[in-house]
Amino acid sequence: MIEVTGVKKTYRSGETLVHALRGVSIKIENGEFMSIAGPSGSGKTTLLNLIGCLDTADHGSILIDGTDISTKDKQELALLRRRSIGFIFQSFNLIPVLTAFENAAFPLSLLGLEEKEIQRRTMEILKEVGLGDMAHRKPAELSGGQQQRVAIARALVKDPQIVLADEPTANLDSRTGQEILELMEGLNRNHGTTFVFSTHDKMVMDFARRLVLLHDGLIQKDESQEPSLGASTTLATGVSTERQGG
Amino acid sequence: MKSRLFLLRLAMKNLFRHTRRTFITGISIAVGLAMFILIDSLLVGIEEDSTRNLVLYETSSTSIMKEDYWAEKENMPLKHSIEKPEAVIEALQPTGYSAAPRISFSGELIMRQDPYPEDGSMQTRVIAIDPSLDTEVYLLDESISRGRFLEQDEMGVVIGEWLAEDIGADIGSPLTIITRTKSGYFQTIDVEIVGLVNTPNPIVNRTGVYIPLETADYLLEMNGAVTQIDLSFPYTTDLKESTANIQSALSKLPPSTMDELAVVDWKELGKDFVALAAAKSGGTKVILFLVFLIAAVGISNTMLMSVYERIREIGMFRAMGMSDGEIRLAFLMEAGGIGLIGATAGVLLGVLVNIPMVENGIDYSFLMRDFDMGYRITGIARGLWNYGTIVSAFVTGIVLSIVIAFIPTSKALKMQVTDALRFQ
Repeated sequence: MIEVTGVKKTYRSGETLVHALRGVSIKIENGEFMSIAGPSGSGKTTLLNLIGCLDTADHGSILIDGTDISTKDKQELALLRRRSIGFIFQSFNLIPVLTAFENAAFPLSLLGLEEKEIQRRTMEILKEVGLGDMAHRKPAELSGGQQQRVAIARALVKDPQIVLADEPTANLDSRTGQEILELMEGLNRNHGTTFVFSTHDKMVMDFARRLVLLHDGLIQKDESQEPSLGASTTLATGVSTERQGG
Repeated sequence: MKSRLFLLRLAMKNLFRHTRRTFITGISIAVGLAMFILIDSLLVGIEEDSTRNLVLYETSSTSIMKEDYWAEKENMPLKHSIEKPEAVIEALQPTGYSAAPRISFSGELIMRQDPYPEDGSMQTRVIAIDPSLDTEVYLLDESISRGRFLEQDEMGVVIGEWLAEDIGADIGSPLTIITRTKSGYFQTIDVEIVGLVNTPNPIVNRTGVYIPLETADYLLEMNGAVTQIDLSFPYTTDLKESTANIQSALSKLPPSTMDELAVVDWKELGKDFVALAAAKSGGTKVILFLVFLIAAVGISNTMLMSVYERIREIGMFRAMGMSDGEIRLAFLMEAGGIGLIGATAGVLLGVLVNIPMVENGIDYSFLMRDFDMGYRITGIARGLWNYGTIVSAFVTGIVLSIVIAFIPTSKALKMQVTDALRFQ
């Protein structure tokens, strides 16, 4: 479980201070399929970065399975990300010189698993994302949707506790975007992995079983919802919304 | 260990991500290192040749002379001569070194119109040599370019070929030398040029004037005395050891004789050259530094580009949980790979170009004829295989690549992960 309590984050953009998060509290249970939505500059990416231990909060706390991540040093946070957090980026961020297989296997190589185990798990996940026969292709030889599938495989291959996806469909056409969302939802159900993705796209936010709406760094809405496309079960969880000024 | 292997694989794949750029950087390192190997080979070769030519044509390995003569060597005072050179040579026999007595004295060369183009004179150093013994120590006899070598007790002179050209002399030309005898009286020596020497030592070619020892002995009233006894042993011999041997041999002489003798090795005798070689080695280092700078700029440019265009990738690596150390290692291995390619190509190129340099050398006699560069070579500058330099160039090429890549990689790693992920 991830518990975000009273988190504030301010950063400087040129001469001005940007209050990206003004006091956000949220609990994410294991196995959720959750969307953090909001317009540009609402603080979605900042919140994802903080949950993903890529950035540190100025105020408040973030607990992952009861451990306050603010007490961990750079090295420990890197290790936590390596073992427990998967990332899916808007622009895929695949390594161009590696094949789809090598890209997907990358997190397992970092974990130092046996070559056989890496082979088995990577092929398994690549088949699951529908790329079993394209394992040897390099990113440049794949379409945008296929590249994002490789990125999803890469995020999931290590069986992380949580997968964070920052606008995962923003660079894709709507049909491919929907396919990706369906894939993510299916993987969430099959693996029980928590998925948290940010978006400003109505279609995407409707896809989640829980929608957290951010506006100007504050949670405006946090509710369970019936997914509009292809989703089934609703996993509503205890949610607290804290609205603070500043 | 496994993740290290993965990093190595990743580094190697990235190395060939931009084949053209890797190739260009590799070439810049290779050319830099090849130049380094070549320049070093040439400079060491020139110095080696110069040393050999200094010893074989000018100074001998070691010279024994009276301390007072050595102290006033600029004036070459005949009064400070070794009175009984035979005794000294005999005492030196156990050392196994060849010995040749010589008389070095200053004189004025006088040239008069017909056969010379115009009247003139010049101050010079005349060396009287024993035609048979001298060949044991010096190679002058093998360097006669025209005419013949000296014979005992003749009124002949052998001079440097360049000197002959400069004054307009030829075989058969008369030459007058005005000097002072051992007792201080003026003496005029009329000799005829019997031979010209063209040695690999430009000093000898430009200034050498040699007459027979017996002739000088008579005309200078030396009564068997000589100014020096020159010795020959391989110039690679440890000079401290040889000096100790000589001194131990000389200790058998009566104390009065032995006490006044100075044992002077070629490094002392050719002090101007030794000082020049030392000074030039400073210049050499500057040249080599510049060569390295060129290679360094090439490598740093490539590594900078390589790192900056991959800042987002670095952000992704860090998001995936790669530690800064692992990312740095991957980039440094990549840089090391470029260094390895460049260094291998550089050594191959350097060795290939150095083969003709060692075998044939570069002929720049046209330069040496008119300019005194201090080196004791006249024409062909040959390279020398310097394996230490080749190995150090190879290692430096790799290390330099890694060191230079360290800076942009560290800079990129200082960025926030989130900033790196957003980097355009």
